[in-house]
Amino acid sequence: MKDIQAEISKDRRAFIKKVLGGTIAGSLLLVIPAGAMDIPEQIAGMLEEDGPFIIKKKFAFIVDITRCIGCGSCCVADKNEYNVPDGNYRTWVERYVIDVDDNVYVDSPSGGLEGYQVPREDVAQDTIRDTFFVPKLCNMCEKPSCVQVCPVGATYQTEDGFVLIDQKRCVACSYCVQACPYSVRFINPVTKTADKCTWCYHRVRKGLLPACVNVCPVKARLFGDLNDKESEVYKILHQPHVISVLKPGMGNEPSLHYVGLRREVV
Amino acid sequence: MQSNYRSKYNTHLIRIIIILVALAVVGLGVRAMMVPKDFGKYGHYRAGAIQDEMDREIRNGTNASCLPCHPYIKEMHFSGVHKTVSCEFCHGPVADHIKDDQVIAKLPKKQGQKIKTLCLRCHNQIIRARPKESIKMIAMPQHLEDKKVRLDHTCDQCHNVHAPLMWVKQARAMMGVIEEETKQ
Repeated sequence: MKDIQAEISKDRRAFIKKVLGGTIAGSLLLVIPAGAMDIPEQIAGMLEEDGPFIIKKKFAFIVDITRCIGCGSCCVADKNEYNVPDGNYRTWVERYVIDVDDNVYVDSPSGGLEGYQVPREDVAQDTIRDTFFVPKLCNMCEKPSCVQVCPVGATYQTEDGFVLIDQKRCVACSYCVQACPYSVRFINPVTKTADKCTWCYHRVRKGLLPACVNVCPVKARLFGDLNDKESEVYKILHQPHVISVLKPGMGNEPSLHYVGLRREVV
Repeated sequence: MQSNYRSKYNTHLIRIIIILVALAVVGLGVRAMMVPKDFGKYGHYRAGAIQDEMDREIRNGTNASCLPCHPYIKEMHFSGVHKTVSCEFCHGPVADHIKDDQVIAKLPKKQGQKIKTLCLRCHNQIIRARPKESIKMIAMPQHLEDKKVRLDHTCDQCHNVHAPLMWVKQARAMMGVIEEETKQ
């Protein structure tokens, strides 16, 4: 009898423990803010940034040409993320072929979306000196020409350095498309507004890496905070590497940096 | 002398002034209607546009959005050399698969020759722009000839797409073959 009593009281304790545990766990679920789905943050501390601008971080994007293998996974992720209409590219990968006579051939069939399956037919294989891939995307200029020319204030630069487009104000006059020195802008045939890469602003604000950075299998695309001296981008930009931006003479001061950028590309 | 020539009638001036004032009122009214209230709060743009951009739907997740439900794949994928390949590159965005914690559709699986096309996006040796040290390059169809298999074989008949060397290693262990490891 005593044994049974002991058993019951032991069970009671266990039961109460379980109920309490369940309640606490349940209430915790309510307390934890429902962030970007239920995926852990990739950029630590972004969920604390709740103001209109990102205050604590200064983002930079680095593309490493020496690493890119031209698989096009970035282009696939980008198309999936934004449902980019066929024939338009927010990001794309160019293939550079240089022959022994230093002629440069550049192509980008369907923006690299299908990857590069076949070599260029118009260049003889035995005359090729060098081949490499160059991913292109919005340069997020510190002095953006596109913002300057927009007549309706639809393209703007936030205080944290992102150049974005107000889809409700844009009248698709295409001034910005012409003004961009890097040709990253296009008129989206579905929304009938200007469109371009945003470095996945909506993902970054929720603590996720840009879609292309997230899928790159060889770490050719890096995204990080320059205020964090331990971050990979800070280290790369403060090392004696060959780092460059595209068309530095235009004076747009891009925040997109290239590692191993070649003379033929700049 | 001069004042004699001055007209006593100034209705033409009044008319112009009335028209200008009316135009200004209409113009300001239209402007007030057309320009959003929060325009110019932070700069020459609509302040709410930042929130609009922030509210864009996240369609690609991360690997962490797939792995909790696919633990076996997780174990296999991250033990192999394909561990840096993201789930969504081959399978598609998580938003097409899960909505509000419910499975809404199956993501399409690449099969047959499409698998081969997918593999060769990265591993095609003839595209000579790939750093050899980072990934293994395969020349087709020489690779199939070397391995003495039919030329219409697809890659996934020998290689598990998640852990490409898993079956190869298992087969070698079963057959007691150790060489070839360092070859190629």
